[in-house]
Amino acid sequence: MPNLFDIFFYIIFHGLFNTLLLTALGLLGGFLLGIILAIMRVYGAKELIWLSSGYEKLLRGIPILVLIYIFAFGMPDLFWYLDLLDRPLASVILALALRSGAYQSQIFRGAILSVNPGQMEASRALGMSKIQSFRSIIMPQALRLAVPSWTNEYAVVIKDSSFAYAVGIVEMTKAGYDLGVGFTDLWALSIGVVAILYFLFTYPVARVFGERQTKKLKKLGMGGG
Amino acid sequence: MKREIGILGMIICIALGFTAGWFIPGLFVEPTPTPLIDQIKDRGYIIVGTSADYPPFENKTYPGGLIVGFDIDVSQMIADELGVTLQMQDIGFDSLIGACRAGTIDMIAAAMTYNAERAAQLAASATYISVRQVVIVKNSSLDFPSPITNLTDLITFDVGCQSGTVMQDELDAISGINVFAQASADILMQDLNAGGVDAVYVDGPIYDAWKNTFDLRVIYSSEEEPLALWTRHGEPALLYEINKVIFDSYQDGRMNTLINKWFGNVTA
Repeated sequence: MPNLFDIFFYIIFHGLFNTLLLTALGLLGGFLLGIILAIMRVYGAKELIWLSSGYEKLLRGIPILVLIYIFAFGMPDLFWYLDLLDRPLASVILALALRSGAYQSQIFRGAILSVNPGQMEASRALGMSKIQSFRSIIMPQALRLAVPSWTNEYAVVIKDSSFAYAVGIVEMTKAGYDLGVGFTDLWALSIGVVAILYFLFTYPVARVFGERQTKKLKKLGMGGG
Repeated sequence: MKREIGILGMIICIALGFTAGWFIPGLFVEPTPTPLIDQIKDRGYIIVGTSADYPPFENKTYPGGLIVGFDIDVSQMIADELGVTLQMQDIGFDSLIGACRAGTIDMIAAAMTYNAERAAQLAASATYISVRQVVIVKNSSLDFPSPITNLTDLITFDVGCQSGTVMQDELDAISGINVFAQASADILMQDLNAGGVDAVYVDGPIYDAWKNTFDLRVIYSSEEEPLALWTRHGEPALLYEINKVIFDSYQDGRMNTLINKWFGNVTA
């Protein structure tokens, strides 16, 4: 019969890597996609705005589990070049990235818009091109402004990664669940340990990056939070 | 005007790019797919899907986290016969059929009862074991002082079962029973113990696996029903190998060894 320490160890040993892998790659993919969509949304022509806002509306309206099922079982040949055993993992990462991209584009759009438009005019007046002034004046400020709300997105993605259990990936939720099957008396305890672990990986990050960054920005006179 | 044309061109290019990206994989995949059995032999492993929360058929070891059980040993015999290694994939029971049809897994070994609806979607092997299905209640339950003879006696009670199983179909067919379909057997047992449902309807060996953990008793047991291994339609060569292993192992006694190993002297 495992004790409390064993339960923590089992779940971390069997599940933590996959949870963090899914979260990291999902966030990274969503970050790239979100920035591109946000730029399209803010500076793009009418058609690009239509494209990116349409994408956001679509992806924000589909539950993550449904997306995972679509990519994993609905389009089994989507990752035809991968080994058959790695395909479920790739489909979950794709689903998390596409969904997170839709949300992150909103975060970055808000951040870009909250940089004073006078700065763009000033840098254009100094002779910088539009791309130059965006890259070296607007973007550095916008990314800093986006950090507090972006940590919130991290918290969403790490929790959504638990849906990966549905296509057979062993991450923290599934590991805790498996332990509960093996030791019925510990079922509630092992799920509780999973809850604690998710909390430990969510709250400190939100605290360190989110609140500290908000304070820092306040000192610089940026942002509202 | 130039600007609009440029943007329109860009959108068309993106659309074309997506379409091309969609169809390019089709060019690389051979138009006439090779038989599944050859694919399995080429890649060197067979992927067997299961739902590892159903001891003694399948569950995970502690602390190794390996999937073990009766179904896994049967799958291992098939993998040995094909000369490949066995890869188990742990998927929720109600997602298994979808996964097998989609090609994510090659075969299902998850104590799945034979019935006509499933046979329409997937190809069933010969019966590899038959089990009774039992209705169990808490030993302290006052609702059922004596065994019942028919499932209709459960009318007006809250009855749990695993979702996607034949037990759920049977219970759903009787109007008046409040059916609670849970994703897995262990949640079902927790629910019964906590008083969430009055009775649960599961495979017999599951009761044997759980009777030591909880104080339970059987009030009804059905006729024996066949369990089958499942694979995709249109793969006769693989199905032939699977059936051959089942028949051979019954003849040379390997299957009986496995039955004794996992079910003991319990009449499954």
